[in-house]
Amino acid sequence: MKRSKKLLLLFTGILLMTAGIWLAIYGRNTIPPGKSYVALITKSTESAFWQSVYAGASAAATEYNLDVTLEGPDSEEDYVTQNRMIAQAVERGARAIIFSAVDYNANSEAISQAARSGVKIVVIDSDVNSSQVNCRIGTDNRAAGRMAGEAVLRSTEEKLYIGIVNHDINSANGQQREEGFREAALKDKRVEVMYTINVASTTEDARAGTTQLLKEHPEINAVVTFNEWTSLGVGWAIRDLELADSTQVVAFDSNVVSVGMLETGEVDALIVQNPYAMGYLGVEQANNLMSGNGQTEKQIHTATTCVTRENMYDLECQRILFAF
Amino acid sequence: MDKKEYRLSLSVIMNLFVIGIVLTALVGGLGVFISVYRHSVEQSALTSSEQAVVQASNAVRNYTQDMDSVMGTIGEFYGQNPEERDQSLETLLRVRRDVVAITSYNEEGQMMDAWTGIYRLKKKILKNLSFPDFIEKEGVSEGKIEISEPHVETLLENYYPWVVSITKELKTQDGKKHLVVMDIRFSQIASYVDGVGIGQHGYCFIMDEEGNVIYHPQQQLIYSGLKPEQTDILTGMKDGSVIQSDVIYTIRTLDNCGWRIVGISHIDELVTGRVKDAIQILMLLIFFVSVTVFAGSYILSRTISRPIQGLVRAMQDFETNAEEFNYQPVHGSSEILALSDSFGHMVVRLQDLMEKVRSEEITLRKTELKALQAQINPHFLYNTLDAISWLCEEERSRDAVEMVNALARLFRISISKGHELIPIEKEVQHAKSYLMIQNFRYKNQFTYSFTIEEETLPYLCNKITLQPIIENAIYHGINRMVDEGRIDIHIFQEGEDIIFRVTDNGVGMSQEQCQSILKSEPDSQNGIGIKNVNERIKIYFGESYGLTIESEPDEGTSVKIRMPKIKETG
Repeated sequence: MKRSKKLLLLFTGILLMTAGIWLAIYGRNTIPPGKSYVALITKSTESAFWQSVYAGASAAATEYNLDVTLEGPDSEEDYVTQNRMIAQAVERGARAIIFSAVDYNANSEAISQAARSGVKIVVIDSDVNSSQVNCRIGTDNRAAGRMAGEAVLRSTEEKLYIGIVNHDINSANGQQREEGFREAALKDKRVEVMYTINVASTTEDARAGTTQLLKEHPEINAVVTFNEWTSLGVGWAIRDLELADSTQVVAFDSNVVSVGMLETGEVDALIVQNPYAMGYLGVEQANNLMSGNGQTEKQIHTATTCVTRENMYDLECQRILFAF
Repeated sequence: MDKKEYRLSLSVIMNLFVIGIVLTALVGGLGVFISVYRHSVEQSALTSSEQAVVQASNAVRNYTQDMDSVMGTIGEFYGQNPEERDQSLETLLRVRRDVVAITSYNEEGQMMDAWTGIYRLKKKILKNLSFPDFIEKEGVSEGKIEISEPHVETLLENYYPWVVSITKELKTQDGKKHLVVMDIRFSQIASYVDGVGIGQHGYCFIMDEEGNVIYHPQQQLIYSGLKPEQTDILTGMKDGSVIQSDVIYTIRTLDNCGWRIVGISHIDELVTGRVKDAIQILMLLIFFVSVTVFAGSYILSRTISRPIQGLVRAMQDFETNAEEFNYQPVHGSSEILALSDSFGHMVVRLQDLMEKVRSEEITLRKTELKALQAQINPHFLYNTLDAISWLCEEERSRDAVEMVNALARLFRISISKGHELIPIEKEVQHAKSYLMIQNFRYKNQFTYSFTIEEETLPYLCNKITLQPIIENAIYHGINRMVDEGRIDIHIFQEGEDIIFRVTDNGVGMSQEQCQSILKSEPDSQNGIGIKNVNERIKIYFGESYGLTIESEPDEGTSVKIRMPKIKETG
């Protein structure tokens, strides 16, 4: 009987070993069945900026075999809708949320709550006031603001009267960019005064606000603005008032219209971010966070480029400005 | 199991052997399979990579030929009169949506005309990328088309598609030479290249002869700096396929525009996937083989190994206790049955023989002992008769009568009609007669007493049991004493046994002497000997009965005899 027991032991051993090797090789493949669901919630969906983010996110989704949904409110002030979308994404079983906050504070509770239910949070472009964020990806907003400042200072005027047309005062990125801008601009003694207005993040609001600002302060000879929609508004206002030649305009992001304005002179420099990279890296980081392998970082800064009329048709800038 | 006995059993050895062979065969087979397979996969990967690149380059060539033919059409239109020409070209632009704009330049490079279809030409053109620099330097060879690198269309309002510019020298109606540039959207070529996949992650891309990427399916990732593409190692390569560190590069140069189609695929992903499958199959095989071997070994052990083990155990048992061994036949194959039967016969025969030997031995011993008992110790007889004659001389006729009677009783009981077992009562008389004679001979050097339980008297005992003990007590114990000796005989029951105890207060014996008395043959002086008493009891009643001696030098000796209670039968 002792021998047959030993025999049994031997066989159990071999079977276990086989099963072990089997598991070691195939276990990893069998654990996550089906695609993981990741929600990408942006500030809005229409602009060229967000379209490019989506393009990047889709490319990464294909590469990492993830199910990524793209959504955002119609208006860039609508944090209520955003919060609802976060809750819905959690309900639908999202394992990660890639988020761009409309409001630094008003979105924080919803994000923290989602994070507490185990969802990984990756913030792109615009930050939210929450300690639960796993990864932040986006433009170094201060640096971008400083870049804008340097672009304004290329003006040849002896004295600079600067108008700042910023979007929602609650948006983190707008404020950071403005801080960076002021930091750079204040180094130059030519800067006499800076007037700041905050407008809603729409072309119409920005156009009206800028027109009013320029009428109230006709001495303004430089205007800076910090996102895609306000850039268009400023451009239209400059075109309306025919101030293209006499005003140094530095705007943010690119789309067909603002590139046209850069060419025709209403806008003198565009600070172009890399939304494609934000989308791509956002999904990549979400994937790494979910799977627990690969590199994850707390903070990733994507590149920013200052495009002017002179370099806009260089090959590099063509590739940045115009999606294929 | 201790180390000495550690031997693998037959079935374990067989199983290990089978598993070993199967494993070696499988692993070896797998190794050969993988190497052969890897080679063939490499070859087929190379082939498929080449096919994919050929496919892509054919598509791109078709595309450039299509451009050529469109350019030919434009050339036809260009020779018409201006109104017809304008109308035809505008129609072409509306029909061929991928043609974005057509522009014409005079020999100084000034723009003469532009046709833009549904889009509007910019009022002020900042930079014209459609009119490439090299044409200014080198001109365009007669009748041939020049294809530019991809660039953004810079001539149209609010429309910035990526295009390639195709330039050809055409003649107007009035015979002037114009450079005509057609901007054609690049997205179609892109979709051709995007559609070409090699394996899971392999892809194609287009580069020019300097290694600049013309189109890459992941160019946005490359431009964003998220993914590198090592075009520098590719520029030096000739057309064909190269395998470098598990990556297959296939390059093919298009003859009509200098573009090179590059196919990139990874052998590893092609091979490792299959090897994983192979290992999975191997694991399955090992699993099934193990199960089969397990089942096989069970059957094997039932038919061969287990019966053999049974036989082995039976033999071991037989070895340790041959007399009481009871053989149970082992079942199994015919050979085993034959072995088992032979063993069974052997066991029976051996046991018969042993029984026979034993009984013969006992008979022999009994005969010997009987012969001994029948003998009369001549010294004793001589001494006694001497004493009697001396008594007669002294005229102590009463004493002489008593002695003669005692002697007669002694002999009568010694003979007892040839019976070995006599009642204890008779044995006691025998002892008393002997003691009487000896006491007389030793002139009352010792005293003696009998303490006998009445119930023991009818039981049987071996005859001449007490006498040799008493004899020993007198000769070795009391004879050498200065003081008066004393012999006590005590017979009593103890459970199912009867105990005879002979105690003297003589010189006693050491432990070794006690042992040697039980072993040594009697000398001529001592009649039957203590050893024989012991043996006789053991032969008749078994090993648990017999004689024990306790002795203390200078204190005395106590001999204890144990016998079972046996009643006279019949």
